[in-house]
Amino acid sequence: MSTRIYLLPLWIRIWHWTNALLIVTLAVTGVSLHFADPGLPLVEFSLAARIHDIAGVSLVVAYALFTIANIVSGNWWQYVPKPPGILERCWRQTKWYCLGIFKGEPHPYRVTEEANFNALQALSYWGIMYVVMPVMLATGLLFLFPQFAPDRFFGFDGLLPVAVLHYLTGAAIMMFMIAHIYLGTTGHTATSMFKTMITGWHED
Amino acid sequence: MFISWCKSAAVPILVLTGSVWAFSVLAAEAASIDTATIEKNRKANEACFACHSAAAINKPPRADLDLGKLKESRLQPEDFTPSDHGVMDCRQCHGRGYDDFPHSVTGKDETSPCTECHAAKVLRLEPQFNGSVHAKAKGLKEKFTCSTCHNAHINIVALKLKEPHKIVAQDNHGCLECHNSDETFAKFSPDGEKTPGVKKKRPDIDTIHEWLPNTRLHWQAVRCVECHTPEVAAGKMLSHEILNKEKAEKKCVTCHSANSSLKTRLYRHMVKDEQQKYGFTNSVILSNSYVIGATRHPLLDSTVIGLVILTLLGVLAHGAIRIICAIRRKENSQ
Repeated sequence: MSTRIYLLPLWIRIWHWTNALLIVTLAVTGVSLHFADPGLPLVEFSLAARIHDIAGVSLVVAYALFTIANIVSGNWWQYVPKPPGILERCWRQTKWYCLGIFKGEPHPYRVTEEANFNALQALSYWGIMYVVMPVMLATGLLFLFPQFAPDRFFGFDGLLPVAVLHYLTGAAIMMFMIAHIYLGTTGHTATSMFKTMITGWHED
Repeated sequence: MFISWCKSAAVPILVLTGSVWAFSVLAAEAASIDTATIEKNRKANEACFACHSAAAINKPPRADLDLGKLKESRLQPEDFTPSDHGVMDCRQCHGRGYDDFPHSVTGKDETSPCTECHAAKVLRLEPQFNGSVHAKAKGLKEKFTCSTCHNAHINIVALKLKEPHKIVAQDNHGCLECHNSDETFAKFSPDGEKTPGVKKKRPDIDTIHEWLPNTRLHWQAVRCVECHTPEVAAGKMLSHEILNKEKAEKKCVTCHSANSSLKTRLYRHMVKDEQQKYGFTNSVILSNSYVIGATRHPLLDSTVIGLVILTLLGVLAHGAIRIICAIRRKENSQ
């Protein structure tokens, strides 16, 4: 028998889709800027630079609001992988993604209001939202205000470490985004998780 | 005036005969001037700096000096001495009318033109200058001399300055002296194209560059002439054809790409030292500025592109296997 629970309040859904839109925009313009070349016309450079700046600042604002709302609502607790048996649950989840899913086995983890994420999700979301994302945003802000960046770095311009960190964290978020969108199809049906992210209701 | 200077200096004769004096100055440019002569010139210049310096204006050495006039012609010895002409005696250019005080009223007009030493270079640059916005605007060409843009008392050639931010500060100062000052711009301003008889008003430098992201940062990192001169072949000197805003470079990727035009411009004198330090493309540029699109690390880029492709292929393969397994399960159940 299928169960239906109200899992995602409106603010999380609005934040999620705002975040998604901004990250896709930043990824496209970021690639256009980093790999700029007359033979590779993606988004025109000066336009890409302006869009990237606006979307980047918007992402910082969205992240700040997300952090505040997370603290106020207690949602931050969802991202913390909880013992006991974290490793065991991660292993079970990995096995399901690698084998069980192909055999049509049921999800090894049942979503509840208290714990939305499986152990792997909680770990990866925690890493992305609380480690990678802050580094990407901080380095992005340093790019906007380079007067706060170090002057020199091993004989190079001090913006180099800022740029490399921004590039690598941006690439990590892009890879996360690809995997995240795909794993969104691994719900009860291929579209059920996307529906949950729109309506807030989880069904399984 | 630029052309009349060339003509009045009898350039062809100079080129053919090669004035001994011009030769001696050119030799000094090549740093072959002996230390005794340098010292002699420096001592001779002390007499000029006794009045033509900030210290002298603050504490005039004599009562009959016109301090207002003197302020316009003051120069700091510490600025002049390291400059390209710093080894020369002031009187090599200001030769007539300056031996005694008060100086001759015609002394300023009799200052030696640059062509007297730099004849060959002027001949080469003249056609470029003639195509320049500074020569094409009506009435402007006559007002322009080399020193309108190049301060012969202070400027140091890029090869000697070496550090790009110093080159940028020096060269942009030459442009901004007029283009960022209504007062100076008005001295040269031609009549407006649509308003004959009415001088063209100085366009606000920030407004006309609004299209350029991080405008002020660009001005600290590159020269106006990187965009406002036509492309030249690698190793060649920057053109003296200053382009107006319609013709100036507006394609960001000209500089912001692996094959950056900065290599033949601001970093022209450093390109021979390019060693792809730590694997970075255009590492000589990176030594001064991180230029997105130009200062890349090919190995890092390949690794990142490879990982993104692997992620994409990974999810596609996973999805394909899921679909195939689901179809088989469905067939088996039937």
